[in-house]
Amino acid sequence: MILDLHSHSVRSDDGRAQVENYCQWVRKRALPIDGFVLTEHRQFDFESDYAALAREHGLTILKASEVETDYGHVLVFGVTPALLSAFDFASIRLPLVQVLEEAERHGAVAVPCHPGRTRVGMCAHVVERGPVAGVRIVEVYNGGSRGSEDDEARALAERFGYHGTGGSDAHIVSHIGRCATRFPAAVRSEAELAEALRAGEFEAVSWKSKS
Amino acid sequence: MEIEELKQCFLNLDFDERRFEVKQDAMLEFAAACGESAPRYTDAAHPEFQAPPTFCARFHGRRMLPSDFPEIGIPLDAGKCVMPQRPVRAGAKLVGKSHLHDVYEKTGRTGRMIFLVSRMELYDESRTLVSIVDSRLVIRERPAE
Repeated sequence: MILDLHSHSVRSDDGRAQVENYCQWVRKRALPIDGFVLTEHRQFDFESDYAALAREHGLTILKASEVETDYGHVLVFGVTPALLSAFDFASIRLPLVQVLEEAERHGAVAVPCHPGRTRVGMCAHVVERGPVAGVRIVEVYNGGSRGSEDDEARALAERFGYHGTGGSDAHIVSHIGRCATRFPAAVRSEAELAEALRAGEFEAVSWKSKS
Repeated sequence: MEIEELKQCFLNLDFDERRFEVKQDAMLEFAAACGESAPRYTDAAHPEFQAPPTFCARFHGRRMLPSDFPEIGIPLDAGKCVMPQRPVRAGAKLVGKSHLHDVYEKTGRTGRMIFLVSRMELYDESRTLVSIVDSRLVIRERPAE
């Protein structure tokens, strides 16, 4: 199963895509993904129910979050109401250590994203302040990466033995599915996604030049 | 000044009020500029003739922020969002009341940014809300010396 693990809808302040339009684009362009995860900025969207859309288009649509830490932006998969109360998702000054620990405590998984990106990626912070214990996975393919940013992300993962995910970081419809993550088995819920990530059996894939 | 402090001092307080008249020519020009083809937007003789949904984005108050808002940087346009509530008809006289609806911060490639959402609520003569227009401003944090 292939899921785009990083996308934003109009629920994010800078998202310009309706979820339905992502579905239509995936199907119209016959993109090789089975679904996508909505990782809205600095929040978790408990309200929206995309089950009907998912059924209509035969796609898996899951929800997660992208929060902002002292080591850059971090995707949090498997968010629960209890985790949402554990720290302020809206803050832009979260300690990465806290996000990792709280995610672990609540059965979620925290994944630093676009590590090669200036200021909001983990690489530069690691150079400046050293690695952070508890990181096991980083995003190594990001659809919004420029230049050598993905190369830096992969080098970081290789150096510290991190697993790597892929996600488009789509904010507009035509960017969905540029990068994704391949899992060996079906992932049908946020909890199953967190479990699959913890298992570590996945592979980042990229079609950036093709989509 | 911290974000929470800005919120406490300025959110949800009306700081501007301005009157507007909806002119038929302006509606037709706006529809043409948007590439509208539906007769209710392009044909003044249509029984349901009305302004396109985003028409009210053209209305501006006398100021975008409260007069005593601190000078924390130069605000740049970061986009608009229009939430139409009722059809806007030719000849309508509207009152636009503005307040600061949200203040938040985020980080990006260029560093920390502060976003200000200035909201104008437009009411008709019967005090019915016809449209809500959010104008988003972004202030980039000055790089450290």
